[in-house]
Amino acid sequence: MNNTDRSLEKINIIKLLIFLSIFIAITLVLILALILPNVKQYRVYRSQYNNAVVHKVRVQNVLDGRIKELKNLNIKNKKVFDSFKHEFRKDEFISFANKFFNKVSLKEVKKSIYKKEFRVYELNVTSTLKTPINFYKFLDGLNHYQNIIQADFPIDLKSNGKTINSTFKIKVFGLLVLKK
Amino acid sequence: MTSYSFIKPRKKHLFSAFSKIWIAFIAFITFLLIAFGVFLLVKIAIYKKDTIKINNERAMLDKKINEKDDFMEYLLRQKSLGEEIFSSNTLLKDSMKNLFDLVPDQITLSRVIIKKDSLIIYGKTPTKDSFNFLLSAPLKSIFSTSNTMFYLTSEGWYNFVSTNKITTMDSFSE
Repeated sequence: MNNTDRSLEKINIIKLLIFLSIFIAITLVLILALILPNVKQYRVYRSQYNNAVVHKVRVQNVLDGRIKELKNLNIKNKKVFDSFKHEFRKDEFISFANKFFNKVSLKEVKKSIYKKEFRVYELNVTSTLKTPINFYKFLDGLNHYQNIIQADFPIDLKSNGKTINSTFKIKVFGLLVLKK
Repeated sequence: MTSYSFIKPRKKHLFSAFSKIWIAFIAFITFLLIAFGVFLLVKIAIYKKDTIKINNERAMLDKKINEKDDFMEYLLRQKSLGEEIFSSNTLLKDSMKNLFDLVPDQITLSRVIIKKDSLIIYGKTPTKDSFNFLLSAPLKSIFSTSNTMFYLTSEGWYNFVSTNKITTMDSFSE
């Protein structure tokens, strides 16, 4: 600093007030023109962002819940879902039915679609059995078979001396479209 | 050069030290406020961008939830149909068991035809009364209509054909 500059020693009050006014004016103008509108916008966008984050977290929690429900559903009903997917094979069914009946034969009646997403094979089963108990056991066994099979009417049981000839219908349910 | 002053000429500055300090101060605060303004603008731009990104991610999650819901409904329809079929098989077994349990030892069945809404029984009974008391009465309590025709055999027994009809399927479960 130059030794001859005495501006700091003898402060001119008028000059000080002018600078102070300029300072305050510039500060106010900048705050009003630049800071305040941006702070408002900043708050709006920050709030939008926070809302979006909260919403996303909620949706993510819902999705996690669905995934968990699906997993539980799959675990609890694995047998049913696997049975719907399993391809029906006549030879497998005959070998299963032979555990309960003798001389089992299958005849395909028709194929149809049930409720738009299940395909149904209808087959006539003819067999001979010793007692009706075998029929009950067969019906019990159907619920544990590897396909979803419904024993259906008409059921015709005809006594033939020592054995019973049976004719009945079964409906095998499968999936029309396999979704994953 | 002739000098008319007793002192040496001093170098004059455009701004005094006092003015320089104020100008620097004003410049500094201006810079600070502009920098803060720019910082806010940048943060706003980042928030805008991130909000769009998060909204897109949320939309994807929504889509996934819908897919999972559809798949769950698809599985629940399978589960429901499976359970329906299992209970239908069990019901049929119980109905048949009940039917054969109804038949007393005196009466011999030769043929049973079970249809969706009817039951036809062929058999042999020693007397009409045996049939009417021991088998016909319970059948009538189950079915809406029950008609029986008897044919006398050469051995003195009766062959019978009992036709029973129901109006609803679930009557069989009784």
